[in-house]
Amino acid sequence: MASLKEVRNRITSVSSTQQITNAMKMVSAAKLRRAQDAILRLRPYAEKLQEILGNLSTSAENAESGVYTAQREPKKVLMVVISSNRGLAGAFNANVMKEARKIVNTRYASQLAEGNVSWMSIGKKSGDIITKSQFNLLSSHNELFDGLSFEKVSLLAQRIMDGFVAKEFDRVEIVYNRFKNAAVQILTTEQFLPVPPPVASSEGTKSQSFDYIFEPDQQTIVEELIPKSLKTQLYKAILDSFAAEHGARMTAMNKATDNARELLKELRLTYNKARQASITNEILEIVGGAEALNG
Amino acid sequence: MHLEIITPEKKLFEDEVKALTLPGTDGSLGILENHAPLISALKKGVVKVTDKTAAKHQFEIKGGVVEVLHNKVIVLAE
Repeated sequence: MASLKEVRNRITSVSSTQQITNAMKMVSAAKLRRAQDAILRLRPYAEKLQEILGNLSTSAENAESGVYTAQREPKKVLMVVISSNRGLAGAFNANVMKEARKIVNTRYASQLAEGNVSWMSIGKKSGDIITKSQFNLLSSHNELFDGLSFEKVSLLAQRIMDGFVAKEFDRVEIVYNRFKNAAVQILTTEQFLPVPPPVASSEGTKSQSFDYIFEPDQQTIVEELIPKSLKTQLYKAILDSFAAEHGARMTAMNKATDNARELLKELRLTYNKARQASITNEILEIVGGAEALNG
Repeated sequence: MHLEIITPEKKLFEDEVKALTLPGTDGSLGILENHAPLISALKKGVVKVTDKTAAKHQFEIKGGVVEVLHNKVIVLAE
């Protein structure tokens, strides 16, 4: 049986770990709330933007010709992986990388063989994994999460779009964890570029097209709106991943706290048993000693 | 008419207004009650709003788009 002192030391160490995990859980819960609020604030903007774009494309079918919608043979592929900067979030980061690899291996196997798959990481953790696996890491953007703002994200989105227009890559996929609730993250892969053709064509006919005046003209507005909608899409993905990260961390830390409690219970039991044993021993010794004196 | 100014990060303004001026790409746009349906791109500039009490508000935007429909104005700004 472990000595009293050893057990006591373990109890102290486990309970201080428990305090830390509990604090991290609280912090993540607060951050999760803020991230969720940000998603909610983005929603009206994103919905309205889609609506206007929908209105435009029902009245004009020439949206196919844009620079961001051009469907090319996907020779060069860019994978954008959104993870977190910090660990201790369960399988959050591992999952997103696993998904990204799966997609590359299944959908872009030939491009991979030719070395035409490049990677971009948002968040330190996926960047680390990509570097370790010696993939072609184009750039990593870990600073995005310190003070997440639309402005920063839109700069990055612009860079990706420029790369697409300059034919540095023919297809861009985003892999991220979508936030469902605090305990559940849905791994999601979205085609970022080229912009997939609008699927709501059947729905579009029912939305009555009003006789809008267009300033300066329809084509220009569509060209103006598509980059905006792309930026919004990336921003939304990052916000979602951010919320999912905190959800995942909260759950992980909650489990860790529970485990620590469990462990503490066992350790206390062991400690008390050991203590009782030593007391019994002591009494036996005293009684034995007294008996010897009397005898 | 009803005006909403929305950015990706928050809702800047929502209220009944009398008139507003927008920085359209082809020049300044004034919008009053019962304006015809309109979709216009906006450039960098200032949105000026006169509300019901004739108080004036100003918002700086970096570009965006405006939709006017049935006395509802929605400005998507950046």
